[in-house]
Amino acid sequence: MTTLRPFTCEDMLRFNNVNLDPLTETYGLSFYTQYLAHWPEYFQVVESPSGEIMGYIMGKAEGHGENWHGHVTALTVSPDYRRLGLAATLMNLLEEVSEKKKAYLVDLFVRVSNKVAINMYKNLGYIVYRTVLEYYSGDPDEDAYDMRKACSRDINKQSVIPLSHPVRTEDVD
Amino acid sequence: MALRSQHVHDGGVVERRLRPVYDWLDNGYNKKALQEAEKVLKKSPSLQAARALKALALYRLGRAQEAGAVLDALVEEKPSDDTTLQAMTMSFRESQQLHKVCTIYENAVKIDTTNEELHSHLFMSYVRVGDFRSQQRAAMAIYKFAPKNPYYFWAVMSIVLQAKETEDTTKRNILLTLAQRMIDNFISENRMEAEQEARLYIMILELQEKWEDIIKFIESPLYGQLIPGSISQACIPYLKKLGRWKKVNILCKELLYDNLDRWDYYMPYFDSVFHLMKENSNEENIDDTAEKCHEFICQLVESMSSGRTLRGPYLARLELWKRLSVEGDPTALLGSALALCVQYLRVFASKPCAVPDLKVYLAMIPQEEREANCRDFLTCLGFDENSEPETMDDIQRHISCLTAWRLTAPRPGTTDALQLAATLRRHYLRSLEKNMIKYSTTEFCSADSYAILAAHHYFYAATEQKSSKPILEALCLLELVLLYSPANYHVKLLLVQLYHLLGNALAADSIYRRLELKHIQLVSLGWLHTARADAACVPTRALQLLADLRAFHTHHAKDSIEHMTYAYKFGTFEKVVELRAWAARLEACALCAVSARRRDLLALLAAPAPPAPPAPLHAAHTDNRDLNIIVNWEPPELQDPDLRSRTFDQDMAYLRLTDALLSSVTLCTELAENKPIEEKMQHYEQLRTCVDTFSEAMEKCTEKYCVYEKITISGPFPSRIIGFVSSPVPYRELYSITLRMIGELSMNNTDKVHELCDQVVAIILISSKLIVQEIRYGAEDNGWSMRDRLESLSNYLQSIGVLTYLLGVCYEMITPTNTKKSKKKANRSVDQMQTIKLIDNINVTLQQAIASLEELMDLWPDYDFSVDLEEELTRMNINPTAPSPVENKLKLGLDKIIEDIQNILKRKTAYLKGLILNTNT
Repeated sequence: MTTLRPFTCEDMLRFNNVNLDPLTETYGLSFYTQYLAHWPEYFQVVESPSGEIMGYIMGKAEGHGENWHGHVTALTVSPDYRRLGLAATLMNLLEEVSEKKKAYLVDLFVRVSNKVAINMYKNLGYIVYRTVLEYYSGDPDEDAYDMRKACSRDINKQSVIPLSHPVRTEDVD
Repeated sequence: MALRSQHVHDGGVVERRLRPVYDWLDNGYNKKALQEAEKVLKKSPSLQAARALKALALYRLGRAQEAGAVLDALVEEKPSDDTTLQAMTMSFRESQQLHKVCTIYENAVKIDTTNEELHSHLFMSYVRVGDFRSQQRAAMAIYKFAPKNPYYFWAVMSIVLQAKETEDTTKRNILLTLAQRMIDNFISENRMEAEQEARLYIMILELQEKWEDIIKFIESPLYGQLIPGSISQACIPYLKKLGRWKKVNILCKELLYDNLDRWDYYMPYFDSVFHLMKENSNEENIDDTAEKCHEFICQLVESMSSGRTLRGPYLARLELWKRLSVEGDPTALLGSALALCVQYLRVFASKPCAVPDLKVYLAMIPQEEREANCRDFLTCLGFDENSEPETMDDIQRHISCLTAWRLTAPRPGTTDALQLAATLRRHYLRSLEKNMIKYSTTEFCSADSYAILAAHHYFYAATEQKSSKPILEALCLLELVLLYSPANYHVKLLLVQLYHLLGNALAADSIYRRLELKHIQLVSLGWLHTARADAACVPTRALQLLADLRAFHTHHAKDSIEHMTYAYKFGTFEKVVELRAWAARLEACALCAVSARRRDLLALLAAPAPPAPPAPLHAAHTDNRDLNIIVNWEPPELQDPDLRSRTFDQDMAYLRLTDALLSSVTLCTELAENKPIEEKMQHYEQLRTCVDTFSEAMEKCTEKYCVYEKITISGPFPSRIIGFVSSPVPYRELYSITLRMIGELSMNNTDKVHELCDQVVAIILISSKLIVQEIRYGAEDNGWSMRDRLESLSNYLQSIGVLTYLLGVCYEMITPTNTKKSKKKANRSVDQMQTIKLIDNINVTLQQAIASLEELMDLWPDYDFSVDLEEELTRMNINPTAPSPVENKLKLGLDKIIEDIQNILKRKTAYLKGLILNTNT
């Protein structure tokens, strides 16, 4: 049961029930406003009938030539609204926008330990394209999977042939 | 922010030489940057870019005046290279002299008339100062020699902003017509090419309420090419405006067939049904009766594939009931609301969102019916309060049933609440014992909710009994939950609340830190801890918390304008309006305004350093609190819908009081400056007005806010103003008489000073007696009264901080600077000698007051700690991975609070002793 709408500045005052989740980072204001100003169509929120924010997605389009792609910067759902398929709804939306922008693929990074999320992305058709070593800083640093799904423009699905070896964070653009 | 210019036009030599300066600046080594810039300037003293960077380094080193001189000289030279201009822009931005950025670029484009980049910088400089007319002019100027879409639309947007700003309707219409015509022309020439351009066009039509034109545009092929998403969905808001309900009805139904779960489609659908009911059109494919609407919803329910049951259609039925019940009884058509709610619970109880979904609809069941049948919710899946579910899923179902039951049952009396809390606690412990609680750093355990619901019931019992014991039980239980479920923020939030309820801000702080709040959360959740810390008598920690909030707010003010320039850069015109409103909203944040003043007054307690005058109050401050974060399990009739507005009003009243007090104090500081009386006249008058304002506001507030406020667990506690104006200590007189005395002292009105001095002494003596009474009052349960006591103490401590500081100001006034230290009896008149004697007398009286407070602190009562959770754990043979920290946290926290205050009082006494002039006193 969902209202799907663009994220607005004022949502930042109400997204605590989502952001207090330990794996959801609360960024500085300018991070959000920059995304809002640059890629508003990629920044969407799902709201419950009672007006509570259930989750949101932040993304962008970037890259040149055949690397022109949609990127998922953050996808998060409040612990109280999980297992309702909201993440899938938001991912579909991001993929739709990417199709409209004629992207070749959509990609995202996820902690290798975040099994729940990895499985969900796999169910949505994403594959592990490569491992990025020590992408998440912390104690200790953690590796990330770079997961990808091809868009319709990538007819031969060139963008989703997995790399056989991991890469270092510096080598990721 | 890196400031390196991306385009350097001087062949790279300068860039190479300046690189180290940039590097130092980017990394915050401003001194090194200054040295490096000086080095470059030795070789080429006139190099403008180097001088601009030198100015920036100087400014960042706090040498604003020198920086200003360098910049002024540069402005005179009218530089036109980007590197120099960018560096100058940086300095002007950091020093909040944004209009000077306009000047330098105005000069630059006169020299380099067709430089696109300089022109666009000029445009952005107008954006920063909000000069929409100049924006328009600048945008059109670029468009003339560089005819690209973005520049054209910058101009259009600048016109729209002028229209939005003006209050003159004719002017507004002219501007909007112009903006629309500019885009119409563009469309007819087939030159519109971006989504945001189309959205700007819709925005202009919206402002003119041209709904018909908007729909036409949305249905045009151009719109489809530019904007993704469903055309029908885009039309709906405008069809509603036009009252075309039949069309809305048809479109929504089509959308809903494909999207059973979209609430944003159900809402306009219902709107259309209820409008059409009045029209009686009787068309077949239109839902214009309650029956047809119900039929449609039933179709949706049936259309769901068996694999996945969606909440949408079920909630839609509840929504239909709710809307129909406004003007009649829908029972005949839909059955009872109670039955529908129970049915919903039965289907969705395994989801944590089931009860939150239901909450609004439970309120529509008449109270009597709801209370009589509340157990239906509990038992609808075969559970009761003593059931012992064996699987995780069943635990979630059991919890949904229990919570729905609690939301519908009448609020229990103390005994029932305690009994229920004990049962719920046993459920949690049993889940722990049966290994059904899996340690997880990211997910919540279902069983956690047993403990949360138990804590709420302990809280009910505690408020009924005015007893701390149930709160201690709740604290111990929740700390135990946190051991196994460290991600559960509901538990953390409750712990913060409950520790504060027992007056222990330091224990609360141990949990608050684990919430890891930052950035905007400091504002939206500031009420939870930051706003309370200073009333809870933890001045050191409070100063840190308030400083964090202030740092966020100042940083935001500088950044927010910059964000607006991004919106132009990326052509997201809708966001221009939104970002402007957002910046203004945060700028006027009420919490930040109160906190800034609290911080300054609190700083006086820490050390008698002169506070800066407070920033002016805004005409309308904004409420940015997130008050929905703590779940509330009270039945509908006990909800407090006015909590937000009432507490905000109280906070605003407190803001005005604090502002008047702080402003008076800063005026006293200015009056102490060694200046002729005539020059001080203005400040003296201001002080009198300010003290009057304070005194009158105090009087009004005492009438209005001397009330008893119920404490809630899910929102802010009663505002500080209540304790402040209800105190028996006569703060109004204490502050206003002391402040008046200083005003007269600055004017050398000896007689008045002497009279007021005696009054100050008298009122300090009275206050000193009354605070003891206030704090000793209500001593039945030390834990329960701790919070009130500490709050009373914090108000009194504030007066000690302010009075001590003001006495310092008095001594400054009566002691010529050159003899201050030697304490020599210079040639003083009899009057002066008398004044000194009287001020010394105030000083001694204040020291006595502090001494009597110190005695009170020595006898400060401790918590009576006793809980029965330990027994229960032993009985159930559960060995938690760590012992309960509650007793220790409370004890150490309180010890630290008392020690801190004792140290402050010692420092105050020492400071006051050092001020005494008359050695005989």
